[in-house]
Amino acid sequence: MNSSSDPRRPEREVRYKPSVSSSQAQPGDNSTPDYMNILGMIFSMCGLMMRLKWCAWVALYCSCISFANSKVTDDAKQILSSFMLSISAVVMSYLQNPQPMTPPWASAIQ
Amino acid sequence: MKLWLAVVHIILVATNIWVTAHFHEELPEDNEFAEFEDFEEEKPAQTINDRSTEHLKESNNNNQDFEEEDVLIVDGDSEFDHFQDEEEFEGLDAAGGNAGPKSDEPSTLTITKIPLHLRARWDSFYLEILMIIGLLVYFINYVAGRSKNAHISEMWLMEHKQLLMDNFSLVGDTGKSTEDMSENGLVKESQSHYSLYCSGRVGCDSMLIELKLIKRQDLVAVLAQLVRPQNDQAHIRVELAKDETDNFVLAIATKRTAMHLVRDMADISVYCPEKRLGEKFGLPSGFYVMSEIAEAASAILDTRVLQAFSKFSPYIDYIYISDQFSGPKQQEDTTQLTMPEVKRVLLVGLNISIKGRITNAEGQEKLKLLLQLTFYLLDKLRRFKLSKEGKSKADKNRLRVEEAFLKTTHAARAEAAAQRREERRRAEKERMLQEEDPDKQRKWEEKEQRRLAKKRAPRMKQLKVKAL
Repeated sequence: MNSSSDPRRPEREVRYKPSVSSSQAQPGDNSTPDYMNILGMIFSMCGLMMRLKWCAWVALYCSCISFANSKVTDDAKQILSSFMLSISAVVMSYLQNPQPMTPPWASAIQ
Repeated sequence: MKLWLAVVHIILVATNIWVTAHFHEELPEDNEFAEFEDFEEEKPAQTINDRSTEHLKESNNNNQDFEEEDVLIVDGDSEFDHFQDEEEFEGLDAAGGNAGPKSDEPSTLTITKIPLHLRARWDSFYLEILMIIGLLVYFINYVAGRSKNAHISEMWLMEHKQLLMDNFSLVGDTGKSTEDMSENGLVKESQSHYSLYCSGRVGCDSMLIELKLIKRQDLVAVLAQLVRPQNDQAHIRVELAKDETDNFVLAIATKRTAMHLVRDMADISVYCPEKRLGEKFGLPSGFYVMSEIAEAASAILDTRVLQAFSKFSPYIDYIYISDQFSGPKQQEDTTQLTMPEVKRVLLVGLNISIKGRITNAEGQEKLKLLLQLTFYLLDKLRRFKLSKEGKSKADKNRLRVEEAFLKTTHAARAEAAAQRREERRRAEKERMLQEEDPDKQRKWEEKEQRRLAKKRAPRMKQLKVKAL
């Protein structure tokens, strides 16, 4: 259908603007890393403050998911700080109390 | 590979839960509290035994030779004489030194007080080990998924590059200077989202192809894929040149996408919220048509397009043509004072893979034909002109929407205008207060008062009229 005439028009080129794609981004499309970041922060805080080891581990998982879903243009510092916070939560909780973790459902089973 | 990793993860989680349940069932049998209970039971018996042996030995030693002395000590004046008497403690040293009740008690407590971690074995850290294994599995999956997604996008580009080169003078622009364009032109937005920008074609300003792949790098998404399979998709967004196409909104989409479009897209929800079954237009079942102007729908869905639909129905997600595209609907609470900026677009959504299975060479050929269909639609849109009635209907619809918008925002706009006026006046007042020339200040004050009086004047007049 296009073979009859060349459809190319070099004079009509419009250069790429990255904002084109971001304006099209739907709300809720890229919210996973943000949610995971917030969740990770909450869990790290719980792990640090309430000495809940499983919270610290969950925070570490949250930051992993946040890292895997992050956009390339996202701030790397945010991911790094999330990782640091969750790792420090794990380390601190084991320094304070080196006993093995008791899962949150252990009390329910006993 | 993916499935295998997912299964391993599920097994790990299952063992975790099982082991936890059984670990805590067994715990009361051999924990330290059980030992403690044993000691408590033993202790009284042991002390009784100790005392009896003590007495026995004492009596054995003394009863023959020192019977008299024994009596003497008991009856003696000095209370503490027996402390000097070495023989008094003969039996005690032998028996009490080993198993005295006082020295026995701390030794039992020391055993129970041994902190758990000092004699912790590795198997008591099973939860931690599982957590670390889980993290490792996650990262292995991340690396594998990332490379797989990169491979899929590169394969797609390789297949379609020639076709794109034939249609566009600029393929794979990354927005950087031309010297940097050493890469293949794919812009990586995230590990599962790539985009390709093309420009320089008759009838359109630009074309942006976004490859939204399954999030293979995220183990959670991979597990979700087992429950609710999704497809790798290519979203093609062609920005049409202004004044080259007529005004109408038309969307053809699968059931799920149609629901989303009607709910979320501003233009579809305003201009054509009615979903019609695709069968009426000759489309295969499962497709819905949302059309503003009937003649446009029948003209766009010509035999060629219908043929493509019937042949490649699993690969088409939606085709969406709009002259009023402004993206998703704005939130209700954000009060915008101007109409959102609209664009003329042709959006096409294609499924690159069905439920995550990579298509073979035949499938790739089909996808290539579908990209050609997009170009066909683009050319068709340029040529297509609405009839007079259709055009007037479309214009009327746009006017009606604009009026409705102006009406809803009238109060807000009036308020904003008043605020702007007030702001200007306040700034002027501020400026006058800082003015050092008193003469100027006085002048401004007089002017302001005159203005206020003028503002009040009509009200006074009205009052007078009322009084009369």
